[in-house]
Amino acid sequence: MSALGVLLRKELHATFTSPIAYAVGTVFLLITGYTFSLTLFLTKVANLTYMFHQMYVLLVLLVPVLTMRAFAEERRADTLELLLTAPVREVWIVLAKFGATLTLVVGLLALSGSYAMVLGLYGEPDWAPVYGGYVALVLLACLLIALGMLTSSLTDNQVVAATMALGISLMLWFADAAAYLLPAPGDLLVVNLSLIGHFTTCVSGSLFLSDAGYYVTLASLALFLTTRVVATR
Amino acid sequence: MIAIEHVTKLYNQTPALRDVTLHVERGEVLGVLGPNGSGKTTLLRLLAGALSPTVGQLMVAGYDTMRQPMEARRRVGYVPEALPLYPHMRVCEFLTFMGRLRGLSPRVTATALARVSKQVRLQEVWTAPIRTLSRGYRQRVAIAQALVHAPDILILDEPTNGLDPRQIMETRHLIRSLAGACTIVMSSHILSEVERTADRVAILLRGHLLGVRALADTPDLEALFLSLT
Repeated sequence: MSALGVLLRKELHATFTSPIAYAVGTVFLLITGYTFSLTLFLTKVANLTYMFHQMYVLLVLLVPVLTMRAFAEERRADTLELLLTAPVREVWIVLAKFGATLTLVVGLLALSGSYAMVLGLYGEPDWAPVYGGYVALVLLACLLIALGMLTSSLTDNQVVAATMALGISLMLWFADAAAYLLPAPGDLLVVNLSLIGHFTTCVSGSLFLSDAGYYVTLASLALFLTTRVVATR
Repeated sequence: MIAIEHVTKLYNQTPALRDVTLHVERGEVLGVLGPNGSGKTTLLRLLAGALSPTVGQLMVAGYDTMRQPMEARRRVGYVPEALPLYPHMRVCEFLTFMGRLRGLSPRVTATALARVSKQVRLQEVWTAPIRTLSRGYRQRVAIAQALVHAPDILILDEPTNGLDPRQIMETRHLIRSLAGACTIVMSSHILSEVERTADRVAILLRGHLLGVRALADTPDLEALFLSLT
């Protein structure tokens, strides 16, 4: 097993033995389950679009809680020094933490897939928005986790890390509102920076490379910056 | 084994080390002495690769810590003063993780773990969660993780800090037993500890290296320390 594999295993162990993961998972599944049941019984329409938008909000709110420990806790406990003095590249340390949190979030999304299965069993849903929605949620999770990693690498205070991550996520969410105030091409830039704009397109069942590119580019940038922060000696 | 050439380390323009030049021979135990804030921990962190020098060059086991950091880090074992350990892990899990992280195969890691558990006397707490251990055992686990890959150089930051007299004696014996096989650099602000453990002593004050003396040629370390600082 490579150093990345060793680190990933350690991070998965830390993630899945943390009460935070179970608290976040419980809240996520309870709220989505409640909304799914309510929406289905009230509208009797085999559609998950509303659910996906709710999951979007939940991810924006809950992912910072999952990522706040990543580096802040290692800094507080001085264990980051153990990792940084071992013969491993800083990018592996970052990717291992990213991979472990993404595994947890994808696991939660997979569990929420039971709602789609229920719709498939008892109705005839349009599957394109369902697939698109899940792809969009995974891409969104990648970006939110990467942003959380970045803020966690900047401080040894977990609450500060979570608050910064939440702040950046909310700013990205509402970025398009500034388009009303900006002249071209600034308005186009902020519209394209918006989290929700790219998400809505995918959830409608239209997957565009530009939308995936937005999430992948910003997530890669955040992971790159995290690696630079961690590598600063 | 260790060559520090004109090393300066600045923290936001504040110098923690100023133009330090120092050489340590293979198998030697070097004690680094100095009052709080003298730059001892900075020097040790530089050697461990946790920091990089602002100016100057550090060679560890023949490798430049800036240009060949992976090679240098493979040859160093480091025990920070804060004893950074993962409290949720068991002792054996933690040491396995550290061995694998340093590139040892599962088979070599198992052999290394058997060696260090005897060397540092951890058999009693082998499967205990780290969070349940006393300060003395936590110190032993921290030393064990630094020895698991059989490093050429062992760096110990205040290794007897917070230990009771028996644990201090045991740590001293352990360090002496490792000398020869390992080059050891240890910091302390307790003169008697360094006097009993080290072959040579380096004295730092406000980031300056004031002098390096062989303890065999220094009948009164306390007088020397007071005269220099």
